[in-house]
Amino acid sequence: MPDALLELEDVHADIGRHHVLQGVSLVVRRDRVTVLLGRNGAGKTTTMRTIVGLVPPAGGVIRYDGQPIGGRRPHEIVRRGIGYVPEGQGIFATLTVDENLRVAMHDPAAGAARLPAVLDLFPDLARLRAARAGALSGGQKQMLAIARALVNDNRLLLVDEPSKGLAPIVVDHLVAALAAMKARVTVLLVEQNFAMAQALGDDFYLIDDGRTVARGAMSDLARDEALKRRYLGV
Amino acid sequence: MAPASGTGEDLTPVQRAREEARRRRWRQPAPWARLAVLLALALVPHVVPSFQVMDLALKIALFGALVASYDVLIGYTGIVSFGHAMFFGLGAYAAALSVSRLGAPTWGHLGLGVAVAVVGTAALAFLIGTFSLRVKAIYFAMITLAFAEFALILAVQLSGLTGGEDGITPRLPGGLGRLGTYYAVLAVCATLFGLLARFVASPLGRTLQAIRDNPLRAEALGYRTFVYQSIATAVASMVAAVLGAAWVLWVRYVNPDSTLGIHIMLDILLMVIIGGIGTLDGAVIGAAVLLTAQAVLPQLRAVGAALFPGSDLAQRLTDRWLLYFGVLFILVVFFFPRGVMGTLRRPPRP
Amino acid sequence: MSRLAPWAVAAALALAPLALMDLHTWVTLTVAGLAMGMLIFLVAAGLTLIFGLMDVLNFAHGALFSWGAYAGFTALVLLNRAWAWAETPSLAVTVALLALAAAVAMAVGAALGVVVERVIVRPVYGQHLFQILITLGATIVLEELLRIVWGPNDQVMPVPLALQGSWEILDVIVLRFPVIAIGVGLLVYGAMQLLLARTRVGLIVRAGVENGEMVQVLGHDVLRYFTGVFAAGSALAALGGVMWGMFSQSVRPTMGAEQLIFAFIVVIIGGLGSVTGSLLGALVVGLSYNHVAFLLPKAAIGVNMALMVVILLIRPTGLFGGAR
Repeated sequence: MPDALLELEDVHADIGRHHVLQGVSLVVRRDRVTVLLGRNGAGKTTTMRTIVGLVPPAGGVIRYDGQPIGGRRPHEIVRRGIGYVPEGQGIFATLTVDENLRVAMHDPAAGAARLPAVLDLFPDLARLRAARAGALSGGQKQMLAIARALVNDNRLLLVDEPSKGLAPIVVDHLVAALAAMKARVTVLLVEQNFAMAQALGDDFYLIDDGRTVARGAMSDLARDEALKRRYLGV
Repeated sequence: MAPASGTGEDLTPVQRAREEARRRRWRQPAPWARLAVLLALALVPHVVPSFQVMDLALKIALFGALVASYDVLIGYTGIVSFGHAMFFGLGAYAAALSVSRLGAPTWGHLGLGVAVAVVGTAALAFLIGTFSLRVKAIYFAMITLAFAEFALILAVQLSGLTGGEDGITPRLPGGLGRLGTYYAVLAVCATLFGLLARFVASPLGRTLQAIRDNPLRAEALGYRTFVYQSIATAVASMVAAVLGAAWVLWVRYVNPDSTLGIHIMLDILLMVIIGGIGTLDGAVIGAAVLLTAQAVLPQLRAVGAALFPGSDLAQRLTDRWLLYFGVLFILVVFFFPRGVMGTLRRPPRP
Repeated sequence: MSRLAPWAVAAALALAPLALMDLHTWVTLTVAGLAMGMLIFLVAAGLTLIFGLMDVLNFAHGALFSWGAYAGFTALVLLNRAWAWAETPSLAVTVALLALAAAVAMAVGAALGVVVERVIVRPVYGQHLFQILITLGATIVLEELLRIVWGPNDQVMPVPLALQGSWEILDVIVLRFPVIAIGVGLLVYGAMQLLLARTRVGLIVRAGVENGEMVQVLGHDVLRYFTGVFAAGSALAALGGVMWGMFSQSVRPTMGAEQLIFAFIVVIIGGLGSVTGSLLGALVVGLSYNHVAFLLPKAAIGVNMALMVVILLIRPTGLFGGAR
């Protein structure tokens, strides 16, 4: 598929003795926001971790920009232009905001050049650059995590449950920030907050028991009450 | 609640399984194998009356039981401790002191010494165990190491009591003779090993394994993990202490290096790895392999001298048989991490 | 507990013995204690960083200490044979040649460290028990190789003339070598803090100590950093070894194993992964050992144990231990 940036074909993965992913297939098209939906424990986070190389795929194919990346080490995979914003943000609490951003840069010079534009998106972070990242509020940490993913010229963003634990007003701010990015970057988003998913998503994939069980356009899903009730409990 | 025995329909699945296991016990290889080993060890003095072979055989029995007690700790309860040799040494010293410092060396005094050692060990084990609640596993392991080192230094420093570096060579209560002592010690080892086997197969033992595999879940199910772990630690260390006393009975001396030194702990570790962690029977196999190797490897020096007479390098290389011991250690950990019994029971997936 | 509290307590502990002895004795013991502490810090610093970043329990660290000592020993003996420099009163020449010996020791330490990390440690990442066992095995092998090459007996370490003896400061006699050891320790600490805080490598290592997985996913080859930190830690241990050799004026194959237990106590007291914690822990251990050894000789070793136990009861992760 020509406009596919990321493709997963029947991917399997194990964590210890648990066969968590039992056939996940999805396609993330360029310049669109694809949402991964599903219950707790369905395998959404594991899918993200497998894409990024933290979990070795036990079967199936993962292709980024046409190139197979399954089985490669995480740092090789992300250097191809993938920014990963994990569940829980993965902020280095003992480092400053500025240091967090610098660790993320693949190339310090290029990263420093991009930094002002990134900080424009998150004025709070610009203000708090010298602060210890651990002292930030939940919303600010999430912004920092996303900012880290933008500091390089990444074409794909993997964002895992960004709204988790955040107050509704902060979530609104988050949605605005992500919407602003839509124009320049492709996003694969895992989100339990259905309103947020609906606001941002173009396409969706539904995962249950480690398998893709449904897919389509987000607008269609919004109307399909039966599907939503069955897999999402909404 | 359904009665413990009775018609099949009254039993719960667990009780039914236990009944089955009880009936099947003598059809499985393990108990027969254990009896066979015990028989072999008992026959050694008659088949090969050499002292060296008897010594090796009895040491296999002693260490087999000691390593089994360590396996209960590390394999069945999941607690990594470096202090096990300390309990062994405690028992040894208690036995030696009780027959040499309390007046005439009598069996009564020895019994007293063993009793004191057992109680003291349980208390000490429990005390050290209270740490495990507060600190993480790695810290706990290092704390036990520090305690063991401390015990060693104490034994050397309190020379007035313990004889310092030279240790104590007590006159033991008479009446047994070498053969009698052999069988007495063997009986002690066999009994203790049997005790451990029963302990591990009991409901308590099974709970321990559950705790080892998934402590959070065990807690959620209502088992106070700390209590069970403390019991297991106490049992394991008490067994070690009694074995220490038995050791003194055979070897007839005790000093810091031979009972409290780090290489006893290393030996135990290596034996439990070779035999297989969490297999109990593996302990005896591990002990047999390692002790035989340690008896045979020093002969390497003679072989080296014979093959390359006059070569200084050859002499140096064969003198330091410990080097090959270390290499063996590393190779075992790399290629044989599940040990003999572990690999036999669960062949690695292709 | 504020970050200054541990330092305050340590200072109090250091000053307390003044009540039991005269000033001259106290100064001598304190200097000796700080020097011993600094040398243990060299060993502990590497150990704590290796654990902090790699989650590896490195029991082979002591063997690297010994190898450093012996490598430095050989360098010093050869230099002495060529130039009889041990007799030179010139401090400058002595320090220069000392630095050379230290460099040799550190190079050997780093090289061995790389070998140990690649061959011994890498295959058992994530499995603590096997790490302990395999590094113990490596220790046995390394110690035996030491005995094969240099012989099993104690050897006398040549200490340069310019470093023996003492200085007189304000009417108090202070031995020279301990002061130099303290200086070296402070230098190393300063250099480490600078490297960690100001360089990109240091930044990534600090981030990795906190969350190794995240660092990978941000695009860094963590395994290369592992090897680097392991080598650096080993080099530090080697430096500690050669300096300890000069401090005690002898080298023997078991010296590493003997110091390793101190290093572990220090690492536990200070908190796994904290260099500053190791420094404080090492100083406290050194000071308490020397003060107590003077007042109650037999209690000296026990005091460190007791300290560790007490500190763990108050703070189970050590003085500066993180959330690990």
